[in-house]
Order: sequence, then structure tokens, then C-alpha cells
Amino acid sequence: MKTLKCLLIVVAAAFGMTSPIQAADVKVIANSSVKADSISADELKGVFLATKTSLSDGSHVEPVLEKGGATHEAFLKAYLGKTDAALNTYYRSLVFTGKASMPKTLGSDAEMGAYVAKTKGAIGYVSAGASPAGVKTLEMK
Amino acid sequence: MKVQTIILAAALYLAPGLLNAQFDFKVGERDIQIHSFAAQGFAYSNDNNYLTMDTSHGSFAMTDGGVNIATSITDKFRVGAQVYDRNIGQLGRGTASLDWAFGDYKFKDWFGIRAGKVKTALGLLNDTQDMEFLHTWAILPQSLYPLDLRSNTIAHTGVDVYGNISLAKAGSLGYTAYYGARAIDTHSGIYFAAADAGNPIVTMSGKTAGADLRWNTPIQGLMLGGSWSKQTEDFVVTVSTYGNIPLSGTFTPQHSTSVYGDFARGRWHFNGEFRKNREILEASLFGVPSVSNLGDKGLFLTAAYRVTKYLELGTYNSRYYVDAPTDLRPQANHIFDQTVTARFDINKWWNVKIEGHFINGFGDTYSAHGFYTRNNPDGLKPTTNIFVIRTGYNL
Repeated sequence: MKTLKCLLIVVAAAFGMTSPIQAADVKVIANSSVKADSISADELKGVFLATKTSLSDGSHVEPVLEKGGATHEAFLKAYLGKTDAALNTYYRSLVFTGKASMPKTLGSDAEMGAYVAKTKGAIGYVSAGASPAGVKTLEMK
Repeated sequence: MKVQTIILAAALYLAPGLLNAQFDFKVGERDIQIHSFAAQGFAYSNDNNYLTMDTSHGSFAMTDGGVNIATSITDKFRVGAQVYDRNIGQLGRGTASLDWAFGDYKFKDWFGIRAGKVKTALGLLNDTQDMEFLHTWAILPQSLYPLDLRSNTIAHTGVDVYGNISLAKAGSLGYTAYYGARAIDTHSGIYFAAADAGNPIVTMSGKTAGADLRWNTPIQGLMLGGSWSKQTEDFVVTVSTYGNIPLSGTFTPQHSTSVYGDFARGRWHFNGEFRKNREILEASLFGVPSVSNLGDKGLFLTAAYRVTKYLELGTYNSRYYVDAPTDLRPQANHIFDQTVTARFDINKWWNVKIEGHFINGFGDTYSAHGFYTRNNPDGLKPTTNIFVIRTGYNL
């Protein structure tokens, strides 16, 4: 039984299933031009995988990513189900076939907040404790 | 190594560095992005020469790269273009070509139109086959993505309609449907194979129409898909055994059917594809009609494991079958390739791959899947072991 338990832990670790989803650690923010006050997980995933360029209310949106760090990792795990490397590969497959542009990447919550505040249609994320000025927080449906 | 190859390799390696400074810049209110990639390989085989390279003596003739520029004119309208160049043995011969160049208008997320020269959505990897940095492997499974026949399917000049439809809890469905003209590279395997068989090609052109469906399932990391493509191919060859008289013909029908899947979870990545190519050639010589079956099929299964941020290990099994070989040797009806790979990611932009291929069989005269009489004048051996090292980067 102990062996079986160890085996299950090893398998779970190999498939990246050991950490719980950490959506609560992340806050989704948007430029004030985005009319919606909330967004579904499916819509958010579509926006960040470049299959969705507008929300159901008609607002044009474009994703903004952090370059790395705990908030970035938590966002990817909670909403996209991809590692940073896998997301990079995904975007490059779009860029080098002409299907999308590489999204803007920023180095910190402060940079993210400032960029989203001034960029029409921008959607990004910051750590739950951050309160950047001039942006709206989108509730998750 | 030819001087041309060295110059091409140097240019491709320098270009991204030079372009890095203007990787992303603004004209007016619009962002313009420039991206580039380049790769250089070395291949060494024990017996047969492979992919038109002199691999039995070790060959560096394995260079390719591309540069693209793209921008959004409006929120719904994008334009862009990419130039691609390759010199792999005698394939491509360092002749730069327009890889894709199109305008893309997205009316809705579920409906958009691309017009121009567009990469063809066929199977799991057709449109990304040149970008080695996207894949674990130094050389993709040649059963379905032969470097020799790249230009047969890589792009079409015409129009695509595409979109992505949400299926709510059932995931989402991406679709592409297309129609256009194909341009077949004169420095490609089909030209070499025809010449080796005594029927050098004078002209060859065709059209393609098809569709691709990709279902991103609700199971995290699992994508399933299918493609169907119909091609036309009209050609004129000369028949050397009859004083080089011209012979014209057409393929009726010629179509490809493909099913594939991709699963990525945690450190693991698996994918696989099966494709059937139906090709019936009709020609007439001295008023006598002939019909030949040039169809084939293939499949591959891959598995890769990300050991660390810097290292990924993988293996694939690739199997190619000739429907009706003209060569009756038992090794002529198939090519089976078991491959093992170690990919080292030096950083986000630069990787090195070390790969071993253990190949059984060499395919038929008309297969154009890596093995040619012109590169193997002493005859083809039944098995081939190949060592490949390839490095590439992208920005």
C-alpha cells in the first residue's frame, strides 16, 4: 500500500498535478475601455491563447503577460493550463506562421498596471495584493 | 562545405542579432514586429547517404532560416510576410522564397479570412515543420513530414476561412478551410526521384483545397484533430528511354486524409498522427494509357519528457509504407525510423539537439523520402543509422 502511495505521488509529480490551482493569488485587470466587469475562465483562456480578440460585449481586447515570477506561474496554471515554456512555444508557432503577434511582456506588477492603464483593450494580471491605479479589476464568472 | 552554404549560414545567424534592436517598434500607433530564426545541422550516417546530403562522410549541408514582419492595420486586420531559405543537401539550394504573405481580416472570433500565400493547415505539424525550435526533434518524423517533399504541401496562394468556436464545457473547435495554387520547388525530392527514374520533370503545378478541424477537448492538454486535402498536379516529364520525348499526365484522384492527437501534461508531451495519401497517376505514351498507384501512408508516435528547464529527452517511431512499390526488394516498400533525442535549451532562444536515427528500409524509387540513387550510386543498403546534431535559435 505504501509502495502504491509512493508510486501515485511520483506519477502525480511527473504530470504536474501536485500543486493546487492558485487562482486566488491572481487578480485579472483590464483597461477602462473594456466594457465588461467580469470574464469567464473560457473567455480568459481564449484571450490569452489568441483565439479570442473580443469579449461578448464587443470590446476589443489584447493580452499582456508578465515575464515570469510567482504571479505569472499561478496565472498560467490556474487559467491556461500551460507551462511558461509551452506557452512560449505556442505563441511562437502562431508568430512564425503569421497567425498572431507576440504579446507584450512586462517585468512586474507595477509595469503591468501602468501598461494596462494606458493601453486600450489591454487585459493582464497582477498578484491579488496589488492595487494598480487606473485599471479595472475583472471578476471571474 | 560549399562557400555558398557558409555565407548562407553566417547571414542567417547574423540577421537575428542585427534585427534584435528593431524587434518591436512603432510606426504611428501601430506595433510592428520582426522575428527571425535560423538552424544549422550536421549529419553522419554509417552507410546510405540521406536527404541528398553526403552523410556517409559527415555533412554540414543542413542550414535553414527565415525572417518575418507583421503588424495590425486595425483591430481586425493584420498583414505580414515571411521569407524562408534552406540548403539541405541539394534540397532548396539556398534559394530564398516567400514563405507566407497575407492579409488577415477577422470578422468575429468564429470567422476570419486570410488571403495571399498562406501556410497550409494539414495534419499536426505541416505549417510549423520548418521551425525546429518548436519541436523536440532535430528532424521531424519523415514518414509524414519529409524534408524532400516540403514544397508539395507547405503553402498555397489563395484564400483561407478560419475560426474558433466555443463548445462551452466540451472545449473549443478550431477550423480552417482553404483553396489555392501550389508552387512545387524545382529543388525538391520529387524532381530528384523522377530524374533518378529516367523521367526528369519539365513542368509541374497544381492546386489544393481542404479543411482542418482541431478539437481542444475539456481534458486539459488534449487536442484531437483531422485534416482532409484534395490536390491536383499536372506535369510534363521527358522519357529518357524513348529519346526524351515529352509525356504529360495528371493524378486522378490525389488526396490526403489525416487524423492526429497531441497531449501535454506537466513534464510529458505525446503526439501522433496517421495519414493516407491516395495518388492514382494517369498518363499516356504513344496513345497507350497507363494507370499507376503512387499512394502511400504513414504514421508516427512520439513521447518526450522535460527533465529540467535545460534538458528534454524524447523518442519517436515513424513508419512509412508504399502502397504499390515498383521496386520489388523487400526494403523498398517501407521506411521505419526509431529515433532518440536529447534537446538542450541553452536559453529561451537557443537550443542544441543531439539525435540518433535507426532506419530500416529505403522506400520506392518514387517515394522521395530521403534515399536517392544519385546519392547512393553503389546501391542502397537495407538499414541506415544516422547521427544528427542541430542547433538553432529564434527571436
